[in-house]
Amino acid sequence: MPTFKLDGQEIPFEPGDTIIRAAWRQGIEIPHYCWHPGLSIAANCRMCLVEIKSGRQMALPILEWDAKKKEYVNATKPKLQPACQIQAQEDMEVESKSDNALKAQETTQEFLLLNHPVDCPICDQAGECKLQDYWLTSQKKLKRKKTEPVHKPKGVRFGPTIVYDAERCIMCTRCIRFVDEVANDPVLDMRERGNTNEIVLSPGRELDNDYTLMTEHVCPVGALTSRDFRFKARVWFLKSQPGVCTGCATGCNTWVDYDPRYQRVYRLRPRDNEDVNQYWMCDDGMLTYHAFHEDRIVAGRVFAQGRVNEVPRDQALAAAAQVIGKAEKGKLAVVLSAQHSSEDNFVLGQLAAEHLGADRFYLTGKPDWRGDEILRHTDQNPNRNGAKAVSPTAPEPMSRLVSDIEAGEVTAVISLGPATELTEAELAPIQNLASQGAGAASHVNLTANAGPLTSAASVVVPVTSVAESSGTFVNADGIAQQFKKAVQAPGGIQPAWHTLVEIGKMLGWEIDLARLGDVRAAMPKALPAAAEEAAPAPA
Amino acid sequence: MEPHYEALEDENTLELPSEPMRLNMGPSHPAMHGTIRMVLELDGESIVDVDIQPGYLHRGFEKSCERGTWNQVFPYADRLNYVSPMLNNVGFALAVEKLIGLEIPERGTYYRTILGELARISDHLTCNGASAMELGAFTPFLWLIKVRDWIWDIQEQETGARLTHSFGRIGGMAAPPTDGFKESVLAIFDEIDHAMMESEALLLKNRIFLDRTQNIGNLSQEHAIAMGCTGIILRSTGVDYDVRKAYPYMFYDRFDFDVPVGHDGDNYDRFICRFEEIRQSMSIIRQALEQMPKSGPVSCDDVRYVYPDKSDVYNTIEGTIAHFKLVMEGLKPPPGEVYSFTEGGNGELGFYIVSDGSGTPYRVRCRPPCWYNLQACRDMLLGDMIADIIPTFGSINMIGGECDR
Amino acid sequence: MSKKIIDRLQKDHGDAVEETSDFRGDHEARVKAKSWKKVALWLRDDLQMDHLIDLTAVDYPEREPEEPRFEMKLFVRSTKTNERIRLATRVGDGEKIDSLVEVWRGANWAEREVFDMFGIPFEGHPDLRRILMYEEFEGFPLRKDYPIDRTQPLVAYRKVEGTDKLPPFGPDEGQPWGRIDWQKRLDGEEVQVSPSIGVQSGDRKALSTGPEHGE
Repeated sequence: MPTFKLDGQEIPFEPGDTIIRAAWRQGIEIPHYCWHPGLSIAANCRMCLVEIKSGRQMALPILEWDAKKKEYVNATKPKLQPACQIQAQEDMEVESKSDNALKAQETTQEFLLLNHPVDCPICDQAGECKLQDYWLTSQKKLKRKKTEPVHKPKGVRFGPTIVYDAERCIMCTRCIRFVDEVANDPVLDMRERGNTNEIVLSPGRELDNDYTLMTEHVCPVGALTSRDFRFKARVWFLKSQPGVCTGCATGCNTWVDYDPRYQRVYRLRPRDNEDVNQYWMCDDGMLTYHAFHEDRIVAGRVFAQGRVNEVPRDQALAAAAQVIGKAEKGKLAVVLSAQHSSEDNFVLGQLAAEHLGADRFYLTGKPDWRGDEILRHTDQNPNRNGAKAVSPTAPEPMSRLVSDIEAGEVTAVISLGPATELTEAELAPIQNLASQGAGAASHVNLTANAGPLTSAASVVVPVTSVAESSGTFVNADGIAQQFKKAVQAPGGIQPAWHTLVEIGKMLGWEIDLARLGDVRAAMPKALPAAAEEAAPAPA
Repeated sequence: MEPHYEALEDENTLELPSEPMRLNMGPSHPAMHGTIRMVLELDGESIVDVDIQPGYLHRGFEKSCERGTWNQVFPYADRLNYVSPMLNNVGFALAVEKLIGLEIPERGTYYRTILGELARISDHLTCNGASAMELGAFTPFLWLIKVRDWIWDIQEQETGARLTHSFGRIGGMAAPPTDGFKESVLAIFDEIDHAMMESEALLLKNRIFLDRTQNIGNLSQEHAIAMGCTGIILRSTGVDYDVRKAYPYMFYDRFDFDVPVGHDGDNYDRFICRFEEIRQSMSIIRQALEQMPKSGPVSCDDVRYVYPDKSDVYNTIEGTIAHFKLVMEGLKPPPGEVYSFTEGGNGELGFYIVSDGSGTPYRVRCRPPCWYNLQACRDMLLGDMIADIIPTFGSINMIGGECDR
Repeated sequence: MSKKIIDRLQKDHGDAVEETSDFRGDHEARVKAKSWKKVALWLRDDLQMDHLIDLTAVDYPEREPEEPRFEMKLFVRSTKTNERIRLATRVGDGEKIDSLVEVWRGANWAEREVFDMFGIPFEGHPDLRRILMYEEFEGFPLRKDYPIDRTQPLVAYRKVEGTDKLPPFGPDEGQPWGRIDWQKRLDGEEVQVSPSIGVQSGDRKALSTGPEHGE
């Protein structure tokens, strides 16, 4: 592999890599604002200027202040090159920490902060702002300009999700390049010149494509802020865990940011993964974190005497055990969920097949939605492939379950999750099953959120959401990805697989699955790449 | 049982058989100030063995420092030797500045010196006054505490608090001296002199005082050195070691002062040394007040370590960012470890700090002078009687906060 | 503070020295753990470093398993030449290190504190017990994996052996007079003294040495 020298260190690079990209691959950061590994090169921030010592060096004539003579004298300085634009070459010698490079970084940083508003206390980017970090490493000094900063529009509504603040903007054009190149919707552009520069929308348009929150994500400063996250949490209180988006079958990798003091998830951020989502996520995916805390089922429910009663979790477990214990052999339907992790589905399938002799397996999930060429998959469920892979027999669709119930071949159902593709009318037979007479309640549903399938159940058992447990999702391309537990589930609630084991133990079954590791070891090896842990990219 | 007569040198003495008695003294005891527990093995009234058990005031100073930022150590440092808090503040600030390689303006160094020496004076006044009171002499205690209170008034005027003021900062002090600083300090010096003179007049020729302090609590030089004693304990045995003279820091090499040294290592020597040190400290303060620049900043202006002016914080983005970084992440010294030591009230107060380059200290070790002095207390007490524990323990000026941290 | 000492150390005990450093004027030499006492004796005898200043440790748990996690530090100086040196060595979790009490008597309490705070046992220490914490304390506080907000289990009052004439350890500790049992008083009973210290009139029993009711 060809290498070049950066600050005395040999850096390997692939042909076509720029200096900054080659360094980035090795985990070395050259200060930059406008460069992004997933976008084209703009080279307008000039923060990544480095000194290239090899090859033909250009010296620029300048006037330098001589403190002794108290006048300007002729001098030269080497011409520095932007590391984001210059392609790395064999035997190149680059200095990013030489005196000239550091002086360039200091002056660039000073210029960027020249008209910047004093917004840190109210700016969402505080704590993860490149201006703050590079001030401390590069500028380290107070302001020399004594006049009023230039004022520009603040709090401009760009669309339903994004607010723009022109004073904070450093005109790096990352947002413009993103909507042009990745979102395929060139709605943003820059206007005016000099210190009246600002980002504007195309006339008559709003920033309303499916990837608007990514413009907030790429903005290195607090100019673009997301209305969903504004003023909700300070980032230095948030911890991160690697996660997988539950929005669709693409399975974009995420960072789940939560506050451990309140055990609450405040936002998702995309996690870099070259093979799945590169550096991006869609808006709907970014907003799936709301489901972790809204419309949650945290107590059990039992449908009795024509009413739904909330009961403590252990009572719900006992009721579920009763229903399962009384189920007629051969007439129990097991509904796996494409919204649940492979571990949950596997344990449900395994226990039902082994201890109940069940052979009727169905698969439920959310109905298809609008997909696109960029990231969104038409299948709105994260784990259809995983659920199919761990099911003991090939699962049938839910419409088949309805017809089986109507034909009388199914009298008891145990299902996972709140989601189903069936409409309310189509759900009626399942609803009727739950409220059948002779006191026999016959639909047990384990779920974290409320939903149509849950409303059609007679016993509802609370389980953890995706943020509260670890698990595996297999995406549409067959890549198995693991997500990790972030927050603690409220009072005593356990993951679905653990809850099923508890119910099984109540029924006297011998089950040898105590920890997640046991479940993963027992899952079929046919599961693609199940054993490998997804290595998280740097945050 | 028949008394057993043993022929001894003195025919009038009878040696009665007895078992050693174990007596517990402290930790809650008026004489064990700073909560120390001593389990004494007594033969009658004589001390055969003593097991000194410190740790009742252990508050986890070193562990607590690893939780906050570098500047958040100052309130903890105050509460180490809480009768001379400025000396601890200065000691820690000098340690971190040594690690960073930061120089502070001259005026700041003089300010630290003056406030530090005032703290030392109040420390010695307290110790001597309390020792005298424990021997029964209540009056000198009240006189010395009266002038100590005036010193605390000056501290309140300068720092806002009488005792634990957390006034030191890395890179200088929290605020510049007030306008009447020099006059206020000089105004009380005559009073201090007067109170000390009167106390000495009452005590130093008093038969009871002399009997209770002379030749009591002796410590030999070799023991003191091997034990790691420093400060008054070491100097009273005759070893001339004062950090300010041996390794001059701040501007102590610009001042003309003496270091009082005893020769017997008994309580009396320690008592006299303390009084003399007060006088020497007053001389240092007079010289420092003369030499201190009349105006100028007391803190250095490197905004990576020192908060910028509030007008800059509110009106410029760089000031805001500097303030933000200092408060949220803490100032970041380069990774490394240093040991920096100063002359605290009781001896060599050292801070050994380890930094990993982040805003949180990795390890802050305070080398407490009282720790090693208290260890030597056992040597001082062996052979003496119970009643001698009071003046001996009082004379080592064991401050619980510093000893146990 | 003393380059000369480092040079002499390299010369006389070069095989024991692992690393030397000079940072901001502090000279430090790191030696192998098994030469700890030998080098300490050499410092005291050959270089007249008779004044022990401090003995402490720092915990670097990320170094495990490649390197030992604790780093012991010894600070000494010479009263005659005013020179200072810092000596360091690395000790792993569970490993013992030689005690320096025979070299400098002041190391006694310093090593007890290191044992108390880090759990490093010292070989040859005359009296290795906890010094700052109480005996029943669980764990070693200054280790990085000891959480600062960990709560300790409650400890029952101790039975103290071999002590005469101590005030009764127990709920009535320090009480000069009998504790009034209010229930008995309200019931109108004659003897109203708390059962834990017994009747206080007439012959007094020996002072208790431990709790007398419901342990």
